[in-house]
Amino acid sequence: MNRLRPPQESDFTSRLRSAAVTARVGLWLGVCFGICFVTGLVSHWSQLALPPVPVPTSPSWGYRVTQGLHVITGTAAIPLLLVKLWSVYPKLFERPPRGSSRRLLVHGAERLSIGVLVAAAIFQLATGLANASQWYPWDFSFRSTHYAVAWVAIGALVLHVAVKLPVIRRALLADVEDEALDRPSLAPASHGLSRRGLLRATWAAVGVAVVATAGNTVTWLRDVSVLAVRSGEGPQGVPINKSAVAARVTDLARDPAYRLTVAYGVRSVELTRDELLALEQAAEELPIACVEGWSASGTWTGVRVRDLLALVGAPTDSDVEVTSLQPSGPFRVTTLPANFAADDRTLLALGLAGEPLDIDHGYPCRIIAPNRPGVLQTKWVQRLEVLT
Amino acid sequence: MNRVRALLALAGVAAAAYGGLLLADDSWGDLVGVASWLVSGVVLHDLVLAPVVVVVLVVGARRLPETWRGPTAGALVVLGSVTLLAIPVLGRFGARPDNPTLLDRPYVAGWALIAVVTVLVTVATIVVRTRRLRRAAAPGTGSPASR
Repeated sequence: MNRLRPPQESDFTSRLRSAAVTARVGLWLGVCFGICFVTGLVSHWSQLALPPVPVPTSPSWGYRVTQGLHVITGTAAIPLLLVKLWSVYPKLFERPPRGSSRRLLVHGAERLSIGVLVAAAIFQLATGLANASQWYPWDFSFRSTHYAVAWVAIGALVLHVAVKLPVIRRALLADVEDEALDRPSLAPASHGLSRRGLLRATWAAVGVAVVATAGNTVTWLRDVSVLAVRSGEGPQGVPINKSAVAARVTDLARDPAYRLTVAYGVRSVELTRDELLALEQAAEELPIACVEGWSASGTWTGVRVRDLLALVGAPTDSDVEVTSLQPSGPFRVTTLPANFAADDRTLLALGLAGEPLDIDHGYPCRIIAPNRPGVLQTKWVQRLEVLT
Repeated sequence: MNRVRALLALAGVAAAAYGGLLLADDSWGDLVGVASWLVSGVVLHDLVLAPVVVVVLVVGARRLPETWRGPTAGALVVLGSVTLLAIPVLGRFGARPDNPTLLDRPYVAGWALIAVVTVLVTVATIVVRTRRLRRAAAPGTGSPASR
């Protein structure tokens, strides 16, 4: 009887666990991680009061596209990462080199960097996937952690590409069935799955994953996206992220004593909802695009924020602090940067789809601006203060 | 080429270190949570998922006829990864009674639909392959493979 022992690299004999497969799947995984990283930066900066690069107000659908891409490429990366890890799994049991301590050190450093890369990659996809469905089975802050680990993941990935570049080049330039880069212990070709077959199955898995979820933001895929987090339905044709009940604002928002305050230094005005409705009304078609990757377009009516600021004589190039009626929450107070406050399309919306704003969409009034993350489209607004 | 690689490696280490610095701003309790998530992802993959896949493949290779293996393995790639990424919606862990617009699809039915389509495509592939192999094996049918 064989004695039980830990597996060795040479125990894995499948022809599919080859650099030819790893490089091809890895290439697309790298593309997905690259897109995720860049669109993630855009999202992170869009949420900062003072971003390192000013966020433009046009195109109005900009954030809808970048954040939609972020979640779609992240979802596509899941089958890619699984197949890629499968193809290199024998490496986990690789024996450290014997002989010089220098080689041992290099080997250890590479394994450490791979460990960091795998941990960060799985972490990003797992937390991102859970967050997209508003499932938070952790205590740490999602936003800052997902951002920090993104740097770790992309850094470890770039290092990994640098180390493996010669192998990647040789593998991609050779035919996928070429055996020059294979480990010697691999079995000969059989009637099982070929390398081409595995690649085709991987692309199919990516296709199914994307089509089954992208309807969150790609409207014409809504009917086939059976695993999308949202159907796209909601009050007045737009889904909601945080309800009035969850924000604990129902009574405050319906209070007849409600007044909107617009303040600039010592000057301030107070307006009831009826008084707001009596001001010049504008209509804009703008999307709500959330960090979770879903988006929906709506026709909003209300008062231009610019016009409201003019009531207190504020200059058009100032940032505006927006305060919500909600008693708590990280986005209770947000800053509307000057370029957004000055934009014609930025409204203090009072209506959606021709009806008074639903309470879950922010009744009595909410901010709706072009090219902004949904969390910053503050609902149940009680105060606009021009920052000096 | 080596200079490009060295620069890439340097940039990679710098970016990862920056990420590490950002993490260091977290409180001790948060760091423990992040670390346990980082480690459990690797452990779940390397010590649970990967061995399970190995066992499934070994059993499949022993039990399934040769012509079935390729298409079945392909179906496993599709259905396995799609099932894994459907866990949050299948479990509806983020659902809230006050928000009916969230997780508002019949996800089990949606998953079953994907499973049925995958199985149908797989069976069709197996049938086509088996016929092709039989035709190739039969003498005098004039298929190019038999000549």
